[in-house]
Amino acid sequence: MIMHGSMAIWLRDMQVLRRAIFSELVAVVAYPLTIYLAFGIGMQSYIGTVEGSPYSLFIAPGLITMTAVNAAYNESVWSLWFHRRVQFTVESYRVTPISVSEIVIAKIITGFTHGIIKGSVVGLVIFAITPFRFPLEHLFYYLLFLIPGSALFSCAGVISGTIMDKPETIGKVEAVVVMPLIFMSGLFFPLSSYPENIIPWVRAVPTTALFEGARRGLVFGEMSPVHVFQVSISAVVLFIASVLIFRRKMSE
Amino acid sequence: MPWVPRVARFMESSDMPVSSIIIRSLTKQYANLTALNSFDLEVEQGSIFGLLGPNGAGKTTLIRILTTLMRQSSGEVFIEGLDTRTNGLKIRSMIGVVSQENSLDRYLTARENLVLHARLHGMEKSLYNRRIDELLELMGLSDRQKDFPDTYSGGMQRRLVVARALVHKPQLLFLDEPTTGLDPQSRRAVWEYIRSLSGSMTIFLTTHYLEEAEQLCDRVAIMDHGRLIALGSSQELKDRLSGETVYDIELERDVEHYSSLLGSMPCVSNIRRIDNKIQVSLEHWECLSEIVTALNGAPIRRITLKERTLEDVFISLTGSGVRG
Repeated sequence: MIMHGSMAIWLRDMQVLRRAIFSELVAVVAYPLTIYLAFGIGMQSYIGTVEGSPYSLFIAPGLITMTAVNAAYNESVWSLWFHRRVQFTVESYRVTPISVSEIVIAKIITGFTHGIIKGSVVGLVIFAITPFRFPLEHLFYYLLFLIPGSALFSCAGVISGTIMDKPETIGKVEAVVVMPLIFMSGLFFPLSSYPENIIPWVRAVPTTALFEGARRGLVFGEMSPVHVFQVSISAVVLFIASVLIFRRKMSE
Repeated sequence: MPWVPRVARFMESSDMPVSSIIIRSLTKQYANLTALNSFDLEVEQGSIFGLLGPNGAGKTTLIRILTTLMRQSSGEVFIEGLDTRTNGLKIRSMIGVVSQENSLDRYLTARENLVLHARLHGMEKSLYNRRIDELLELMGLSDRQKDFPDTYSGGMQRRLVVARALVHKPQLLFLDEPTTGLDPQSRRAVWEYIRSLSGSMTIFLTTHYLEEAEQLCDRVAIMDHGRLIALGSSQELKDRLSGETVYDIELERDVEHYSSLLGSMPCVSNIRRIDNKIQVSLEHWECLSEIVTALNGAPIRRITLKERTLEDVFISLTGSGVRG
């Protein structure tokens, strides 16, 4: 049975998520919602509109995307590190008739699932308690970014969880690499705020394509094939890299 | 179709003992360190085999190669006739592994841990549920199957790990220091389970407890510095230690006098005085009558034969220095 190992591990991860879903969601929703209320509502009267949109509308898609990719990254990195270094469950998987690739693919899918579930819940909460609205058909364009974006960050988490043996290193990488990538990708401000000569470099970063494309998709119903391609190809590259890095680590 | 683990037989001859594990010239090199050095070994099917060695002897490396978790630098390993370099998946479908660490999933209940393992082995739900019921009953964990492993005692956790390794009915069970850290009662309980499995599968055990090897194993190997240095039943190893027989003679008084008297006898190869006890090593047990004659009239309290233990063999072969 092909990939039965990935399925077994993913089912295990979903069982654990189901058991703790309420506390997980409360924690996940609290952070972006606080930012939305503080910046979107609190600062709106000072900022007014950005690129023609009210500021609360401008930041909402980015906050949902941020929740999703953060959840995907965090689940992958900590889950892999914990199962590899603390609980040694990866070792117990490895003595069963499944391949190393099946283990890493399961962890990528789990991170991705966490991202999609948590991002959706934050979206629903923002939709329910704020005036943020969008036409339903825009959701399709948004998902074209959210799905590969969550996969991209899940793969990045798997790579970090594979190569980093100390938890403090994981925390440092998150603070120095992941959060700046998210926050500097136009989540709270338009890219036009950057100096002109820097903008092409910022646009080359896949997270910029993700946040910019997701916002334009959800708010304006615009589809940017270049952005979708940029995010998707980055996800594919990181997927291949994460499988290879994990396999290499396991063979050491 | 019922689920059956794939098994291969290496030797089909009815007279020949069938080998579950065959290791030929196995070498594992880590940069400048040789963890295994031309290691050769055969383990008979259905037997309980013990591997002893001080820390850093190469036991863990050997187990990792046997369980296909690691590749050798050179040499060959066959598990149930299959080469470990090319048949990892097949081999892992027919082995069970109890690692040094418990490696239980603390976010799953005891039963869920076993279910996950069965799913990883591709077992059908109808089959694994019945098997898990049997194993939980056998291990005395049925009443606690819905509890999380963190709430278990060390002994119960160990039994659960053994149960997990048996879910898919393996042909060969690897036990890497299965009773480390357990109290004597729990240790004996695990021994009982291992003994009850004897004959139904091959068991390959590593341990630091020499009594464990003596109690459980049909054959024992001692390794050090990546090499096999002794192999046989524990009795054979003890017999091989030396031809000498050692007696402890406890005296009421005049210990010094009798010590020098015995020390001058040609059949006494070695003599030690410990308080009011004289420990004499005789070249042959037949010398005992000469000793008894020499001690005629001596205030003897007790003469006892000092039994050789596997620990004596182990220490004599690997030295008494502490290893990392």
